[in-house]
Amino acid sequence: MASFRVIVVGGGLAGLSATMKLAELGAEVWLISLTPVKRSHSCCAQGGINSVNNLTRQLGDSEWSHFEDTVYGGDFLQHQPPVKEMAEWAPRIIDLMDRLGVTFNRTPEGFRDQRRFGGTLYPRTAFAGATTGQQLLYALDEQVRRWEVTGHVRKFEFWEYLGPVLDENGVCRGCTVQDLVSMEIRALPGDALVIASGGCGVIFGRSTMSMACNGSAVSRTYQAGARYGNPEFIQVHPTAIPGSDKLRLMSESARGEGGRVWVPRRPQDPRPPHQIPEKERYYFLEERYPKYGNLVPRDIATREIFKVCTQEGLSVEKDRQCVYLDLTHLPRDLLDRKLGGILEIYEKFQGVDPRSVPMKIFPAVHYSMGGLWVDYERTAAGGLRIGSPRNQHTNITGIFAAGECDYQYHGANRLGANSLLSCIFSGLIAAPGILSYLKDGDQGARDRSPSSLFKQAERRQRERLEELLRRPQDGDNPYLIHQELGRVMTAAATVVRHNEELDRAYEKVLELEARAKHCALSDRGSWTNQNLVFARALEDMFPVAKAILRGARMRDECRGAHYKPEFEMPPITAKDPAEARRQAEAWCDRFEANTRRWLESTIATCDSGGEPAIHYEEVDTGLIPPRPRLYGLVGGQIIEQVWRERQQPQVAAAASSG
Amino acid sequence: MLKADLASLFGRHEFFIRRLHSFTGLVPVGGFMVFHLATNASIADGVEIFQYRVNVIHGLGPSTIMMLEWPFIFLPILFHAIVGMMIVSRGKRNVTAYPYPENIRYTLQRWTGVIAFFFIFWHVFHMHGWLKFEWWLDSVAKPLGGHRFDPARVITAAEAIQASIWIRLFYIVGVLCCVYHFVNGIWTAGITWGLWISPRAQRTASGLALVVGLFLGGISAAALYGMNTIDTSEAQAGETISDPTAPPGKVPPEASIAERP
Amino acid sequence: MTDSSDSQRPGGPRPRQINVRVRRQDGPARRPYWETFALPYEPDLNVISVLQKIAALGRNAAGKSVPPVAWECNCLEEICGACTMLINGRVRQACTALVDRLLEQNPREIRLEPMSKFPVVRDLVVDRTRIFATLKKVSAWVPVDNYLDLGPGPRQSQENQEIAYLLSKCMSCGCCMEACPQFLKIEVRRLPGESEDDYRRREGEITNHAFMGAAAVAQIDLFNSNPIGAMNARERLDVLIGEGGIQVCGNAQNCVKVCPKEIPLTTSIARMGRAATIHMFRRWFDL
Repeated sequence: MASFRVIVVGGGLAGLSATMKLAELGAEVWLISLTPVKRSHSCCAQGGINSVNNLTRQLGDSEWSHFEDTVYGGDFLQHQPPVKEMAEWAPRIIDLMDRLGVTFNRTPEGFRDQRRFGGTLYPRTAFAGATTGQQLLYALDEQVRRWEVTGHVRKFEFWEYLGPVLDENGVCRGCTVQDLVSMEIRALPGDALVIASGGCGVIFGRSTMSMACNGSAVSRTYQAGARYGNPEFIQVHPTAIPGSDKLRLMSESARGEGGRVWVPRRPQDPRPPHQIPEKERYYFLEERYPKYGNLVPRDIATREIFKVCTQEGLSVEKDRQCVYLDLTHLPRDLLDRKLGGILEIYEKFQGVDPRSVPMKIFPAVHYSMGGLWVDYERTAAGGLRIGSPRNQHTNITGIFAAGECDYQYHGANRLGANSLLSCIFSGLIAAPGILSYLKDGDQGARDRSPSSLFKQAERRQRERLEELLRRPQDGDNPYLIHQELGRVMTAAATVVRHNEELDRAYEKVLELEARAKHCALSDRGSWTNQNLVFARALEDMFPVAKAILRGARMRDECRGAHYKPEFEMPPITAKDPAEARRQAEAWCDRFEANTRRWLESTIATCDSGGEPAIHYEEVDTGLIPPRPRLYGLVGGQIIEQVWRERQQPQVAAAASSG
Repeated sequence: MLKADLASLFGRHEFFIRRLHSFTGLVPVGGFMVFHLATNASIADGVEIFQYRVNVIHGLGPSTIMMLEWPFIFLPILFHAIVGMMIVSRGKRNVTAYPYPENIRYTLQRWTGVIAFFFIFWHVFHMHGWLKFEWWLDSVAKPLGGHRFDPARVITAAEAIQASIWIRLFYIVGVLCCVYHFVNGIWTAGITWGLWISPRAQRTASGLALVVGLFLGGISAAALYGMNTIDTSEAQAGETISDPTAPPGKVPPEASIAERP
Repeated sequence: MTDSSDSQRPGGPRPRQINVRVRRQDGPARRPYWETFALPYEPDLNVISVLQKIAALGRNAAGKSVPPVAWECNCLEEICGACTMLINGRVRQACTALVDRLLEQNPREIRLEPMSKFPVVRDLVVDRTRIFATLKKVSAWVPVDNYLDLGPGPRQSQENQEIAYLLSKCMSCGCCMEACPQFLKIEVRRLPGESEDDYRRREGEITNHAFMGAAAVAQIDLFNSNPIGAMNARERLDVLIGEGGIQVCGNAQNCVKVCPKEIPLTTSIARMGRAATIHMFRRWFDL
């Protein structure tokens, strides 16, 4: 058997791609997952996966342009070298997935078909029906199963990761896990640990995320000393179907294929949508953002839908906030062919056919851009050094992170169809780096680790478990505490954020945390005790929730998904050209000052009391200098002109010195 | 232990056994049944025609018939029946929870198969006696109510059927079960062997099977009607008159050969 | 039982209360029992939200405090396959089981049971390891050489893609197996002193002989029709006609009716039936 053992926590795209690549490189992989890996949340991704391709290249696209769109969409908050590398790998990753049998849609000539997604001008997105995430996940699941048969991979499905095992030097030697069926707790020795546990949407109660996405694995690693980057950046998806148990995603591809977002101009117009004439419909995205139309980046679409409903009072329904997402003008066969899957979802859960009646949608928490801080090694050309042990390495030696649970690729806002890419990419490139780490480092570390270390770790987890089971019966119900946490977090830390509200929410979360520490279990058994597992995960939601709130409270600006109206950059109001010019100058001054102050990653570290300590870290923007993100801002043109003039001397200086 | 070994043997060769099961059901067993029903239906045109058909068949001679009926009829039937019973015992019918047409057909296929199993087993005994050894026929089959059919006097078949209301009913039910089982079996065999693949092709095949079923049903009805309604005393009288080639009271030459053990 | 103010709603009167009867079982080898829960009626619920509310309620209809019902779920969008169970006697996913529809069928109660073809772990949670073991058995993957950059996969027609996509949507939920009269439950009990690994191995050996089910046949169809997967098609056909292979199918065709992803399972079965026939002759005559 292989000489190194790597433990991977999470079996979504990132965990599986890391596992598959590690196995190919000769490592033994133990894969821990709450669910059978085939049921991981990646399967919910609908729209597609981005990369430059032969078609877009001929329209003027390039890897650089994909990189630039990602960075610009993310409001420059991500380190640029990993993003550049990802954009360069994208076409290769899609080719690989194609070879693995992903059923990408085809053109009549047999090439992979592509569609256009938000935040870009090119049809970069390869897709497999309306269930691209599912198809990618299955392809990787199949490959990992192949390695399972050869004995390279061992799966621990229905096992939960409880935390890393660190030695006296703070180096990771394995992790503690629990069998969710027999409730047995074990410490597994491993030479490296990869956290690929996905997002933390369940902290917001109802979101578009799966029930496994409670952030507990990340939280447990964070509580063990790992840094958490950009916690406050939570993407709210503009179009979700409101439901009582979850908010189901309506993919951006619905707009990508020509879906139009509108509300009746008359508030709560009682007429059925098809009876409202064209001129009485307010296509607010198209009117406000003529260049991108309905395909503005997610944060903007979200805010506009939110604003139209909450501030302008134009919600379609009175009691429930929602706008129309209309596909009824498109041919049915096109809809069935390209969007069949997502339209079925709407039909299944709402009982209405979206091909003939416009859908009702509203924004929902969708993706955490933030996550475990990870390192990278930059090459002179500004890419990543593949195989560097620093890549995807957290600040705890031996713990790596990949996928949605790292903070690396999306900055302040993620572009549509980039998440599948970043998950596969980060998993794939983590593997050679981990191997280098293992080869460079302490060979045979596993054997030298004293078994007392593992015994102690097991004992600690058992104690935690017993404490939960011993609690008096008069405490709160953990499910109700969770509902309340979700309400608080959704109200204070999603689309629009205000400092006073964030302060109040923090107080409330502290109170809920105290109650959660005394919550009562209605099940005290030792067999498949989901009640206990939930209560424990709930406790671990609080450190992350607090990091999100604290990060949001401290960041006094607007950036990507983080929007504080108090700190919004003003539009250009003057009609007079000279005055407008003056305003634009002032705008650019303020923008530059803001960039100096706030273009920094928020880094949270967890103190022993579970409180976040925040510091800021410089962002590598060495490849593409930050510039104003002006999607549709009033007066955007004049600002752009002023900005360009200001950049001129710098460009000239750079040219003369180079 | 033996049971486990047999199960394992069956399991390992199940594909071949099941294909052979499907094949035997179609060609020797099903094919013979069609021929058999068609022969018997000729009774509707009168005993003499039926007698003539039987004479033609039995003209092959008892040894030849035995050589043919065992490998090409009885053994395939026994194989099809035993394997079929194993198949039935290994299914867990659920038509109440999932009352879809195909599931109803599946369930009927099992029920008709089981009825056909008992019916055919008994029917062969009832008419034929299974084994053509004198001591068996005289001391076992006949005393137990078997071996009632005399190919030389085909009216003996009708006599045997008309002997009691239960036998009449059993024949009606048994024959109709066999017909259903065969016709539905054609349809499932087409899927099993991969002749009709798409749902549309399977629907078409289903329609064709229905037509075949109605046709066979008609033939069976004629045979059953003839067997049940023919006046055995009159037929016996008419037999000698209506056959001008055969002298009254005298057995036709073919039949007399056939009668020899 | 009906709320008069609600009786004007489309779909007729709604009950004031939702009665949910759950077939519970505390563990393998424990005796199953029924427990009833009562919830106030709300519109637009699904069975998942009902189970969530039961957990939050913490007591049964008699008011007795009971452990929450154990059940499996993840995506709640009917794409992960986790929340499969019997709802009013029929196998389906809990997330798409809309309470209003169920109450139209039977306003008195909603009946929840674990799947009957897989061993019960607890309450509505069953052990579906067998499904994934079968995917190993049929080599349900594309055997690529490596994960390096070797260019794109083969070009494929739209028609091929459309068929492959349908088959590839299988989420291993087990509906087709639950509804199949030929697919039988196998429950292997762990022996005293037997290690988890030994137990799993022994269980695997036993289930390995049993019927693979419609989903696995469709997976063989999928990978044998993939241009790269076709390179080891014979291996898969050997399994297809091996013990527990396609021959066990009895053409009841429930699989295709209950498949939540509308996978043309019976088409695959017939197509694979033809392939199996040809494969059998090729094996006999060494073609």
